[in-house]
Amino acid sequence: MLSALIWIPVLGALIIAVLPPTIEASRIRQVALMFGSIALALTIALATQFDALSIGMQFQENIPWLDSLGLTYRLGVDGLSFPLLALSNFLTLVAIYCTDITVQRPKFYYALILVLNMGVTGAFLAQNLLLFFLFYELELIPLYLLIGIWGGAKRGYAATKFLIYTAFSGVLILAAFLGLTWLGGSNSFEFDPLLSQTLPLTAQIVLLGAILIGFGIKVPLFPLHTWLPDAHVEASTPISVLLAGVLLKLGTYGLIRFGLQLFPEAWAVLSPWLATWAVVSVLFGAFTAIAQTDMKKMVAYSSIAHMGYILLAAAAATPLSLLGTVFQMVSHGLISAMLFALVGVVYKKTGTRDITVLQGLLNPERGLPIIGSLMVVGVMASAGIPGMVGFISEFLIFRGSFPVFPVQTLLSMVGTGLTAVYFLLLVNRTFFGRLPDQFANLPQVPWSERAPGFVLAVLIVILGLQPGWVVRWTETTTTAMLTDFPTIAAKVLKSPSPPKILANEQLVIHN
Amino acid sequence: MVSTPLKPSNHPLADIIDRLESGGALLPDSPDNVIEVVGILKSYGIVLDAYWRNLIYISEHQFLELFPFFKYFNGDVSTHKLLKHWWHDRYNYEFAEYCMKAMFWHGGGRLDTYLDSPEFLDLVQAATSAKLKNNLPIKGLSKVFPNFLPEQVRQSCYYSALGQFWKIMSKMFLDLSDFYDAGKIQSIPDVVAFIQAALVAAANEPITYAVKIGDRSYDIIPKSAGLAFLMDTGVPYIDAVFFRSFPFMGTVSYNAQARQISSDQERFNYGVLHADPLPVGGAGIPPTLLMQDLRHDLPPYLHELYQRSLRGEEDLRVRICVSFQKSMFCVTTAAMLGLMPHSAETTNIQEQQANRKYLEGWMDRLIDSRLSNLQVCEV
Repeated sequence: MLSALIWIPVLGALIIAVLPPTIEASRIRQVALMFGSIALALTIALATQFDALSIGMQFQENIPWLDSLGLTYRLGVDGLSFPLLALSNFLTLVAIYCTDITVQRPKFYYALILVLNMGVTGAFLAQNLLLFFLFYELELIPLYLLIGIWGGAKRGYAATKFLIYTAFSGVLILAAFLGLTWLGGSNSFEFDPLLSQTLPLTAQIVLLGAILIGFGIKVPLFPLHTWLPDAHVEASTPISVLLAGVLLKLGTYGLIRFGLQLFPEAWAVLSPWLATWAVVSVLFGAFTAIAQTDMKKMVAYSSIAHMGYILLAAAAATPLSLLGTVFQMVSHGLISAMLFALVGVVYKKTGTRDITVLQGLLNPERGLPIIGSLMVVGVMASAGIPGMVGFISEFLIFRGSFPVFPVQTLLSMVGTGLTAVYFLLLVNRTFFGRLPDQFANLPQVPWSERAPGFVLAVLIVILGLQPGWVVRWTETTTTAMLTDFPTIAAKVLKSPSPPKILANEQLVIHN
Repeated sequence: MVSTPLKPSNHPLADIIDRLESGGALLPDSPDNVIEVVGILKSYGIVLDAYWRNLIYISEHQFLELFPFFKYFNGDVSTHKLLKHWWHDRYNYEFAEYCMKAMFWHGGGRLDTYLDSPEFLDLVQAATSAKLKNNLPIKGLSKVFPNFLPEQVRQSCYYSALGQFWKIMSKMFLDLSDFYDAGKIQSIPDVVAFIQAALVAAANEPITYAVKIGDRSYDIIPKSAGLAFLMDTGVPYIDAVFFRSFPFMGTVSYNAQARQISSDQERFNYGVLHADPLPVGGAGIPPTLLMQDLRHDLPPYLHELYQRSLRGEEDLRVRICVSFQKSMFCVTTAAMLGLMPHSAETTNIQEQQANRKYLEGWMDRLIDSRLSNLQVCEV
């Protein structure tokens, strides 16, 4: 079942590759949509079989590959990876749908998106560290090409910068994985056995440091973020949707899966620093977003701020905050995908994303009133307005983190206020006021271009009103992740406060 | 005698003055402009026909009715019409009332003077006494506020005057459309010439007003008041509705206390010729009301032209507003040329100079209007 999720996109890419060169771009798009839909349908089928109350990995597959290297084709899914898997397959479909029908070299383009989907899916499913690394590196190639070929004017620069940063991230992660097995004297890169392995605290801290920087680049966290705004600005709309919606989640997923889970003692030692790092990232992202005039850059910096919340929650490592990390990944995936999709429509119709130039786009007859209205919904969700996913995720994170890191949590909450500031600036400047004459003859926006925004808005509201539909997949896994964590933290920190608070927190949760 | 040609004007709108002096109009001549102007005036003629009938009905049958709940029903109140009204399947008669109120507020012309005359007040006294002879509360109110009833009657006079003005204009625009259909209108100057001729022909049509109370008819504006169509309703209408209007009906909020509105009514520029066709950012009488009415009766050739735009049906009202403004600039041209001190074809340099000065005076008022936008682009 899980292999199908990996290989169906590959099959789709191969079929697209062998289609005759004369075939219409719309037909290729249909084929890509079909394979994207099959992957999503399989994910839904998986959901019907998924046991939300089970702690361990489910639907496991294990095929020996290179035993001498410790590499096996071992797959599994749990409550941490399943929501991200669903998000990835859904947003891949959205990205394919968002793609301009006139895209150049359509066969290559759609094949690369499907290969990218395969890489991300594989990374979420891999239960062998080397296999994870292979998928993690594999998704760089299609993404590099998708930015480098179909991007904006400075696409070469942005794609190369992205490649260098994330390749370096890969090197650090590989080094940490190798160090983990060698220092532990193991020859296996299997995830589960490594969980029970104990290393000296110093070694753990060094290895965790590599993991933190490696995945910190991918998240990205300040000051490792500089590739992201460039990549977003130069990437086409569907690629931005994937980049923000899915690719960044690999970083946060990695932090929790391979940081928190593999190095709990070191994590407990570093967690105050991580929480502080999260605050810096949140405030840096938010303040920088305020200064932006390019809508895409503003959303990109907003992503940096919102991903910082995940680090804060992961650092706090309470059951509630960990639940919040997964919810925030899903929430940010949906919201940022929506915002990038809408910015894409604005750019397509007006030819600019400059908020000092755009104005009055909510004009009911000559502007982009529905796109503007959806944008208002998107920014409200991002600012954490109750009734939408953003509120739930931020509430879970802040409520879960406050008992452990009250100061950092309060400072991060300032970031939420700042989100309202920069997005209100964006909406106010861009959508309100009188439509300037230069934009008074904008072309029509067909319903097909509004559809992705609508679907995402509906999901954002539904999951905001029914958060249980996400939480139920994850709660058991995130709670189980911390079964031993309070004990470990207490042992390492030798401080009564956090464990006591954590214990209270658990009481609250269990009650 | 050798005549010296007139030097070119230094006015910022000198190009338009040149065009007017050489027989053109405020609006440039183009095939699309002709279709837009004639087509929208046809629709406007139909809408005006409904408006004037309602205004005359209100003036004659809702005279001193302080709670005229069914004033838009023209006397035909039924459940079906009531449901249609509530469903808003009707003309926006409110637009006609806004125009009436703009005229009433700004005044001008001999009608305004007449409504302050002792003769008018005597006629008001006679009519109100007859109407309210058994209505003690209103009579008491009138004692406390002696200007209350005359002011109500003045408003009724404007209902009637505007109704009479639009009755003539409505027929004129429908005739124009018939001429166009017959191939007799080919250009914007043809449109202007037709309107100018019709205005001149109707210039001396008398404006009168009488109400029937019981079995007797009471004159309010008798023929002897000497009020005529062009100078006493046409010119004040253009001034009040085309140029000045109100600052407070649109979507932009003006703060009078912060002096955002000129205290000098002469400097108001919220009229049709200044109205913003985009629904945000305008002031004055909401153009959207008229646009909604005009879209019901668009001739097919104009509707087809609109559908060729980038937004198709989506921006129909904006396109209608732009066309309407174009047509109103043609009406303004006709009024302007009709009132010019000397013939436009005069070769006398002094007469030419007088005409030039007259046109520059109009251009001063049009300098902030939408005229410039209509010279170069669609909106």
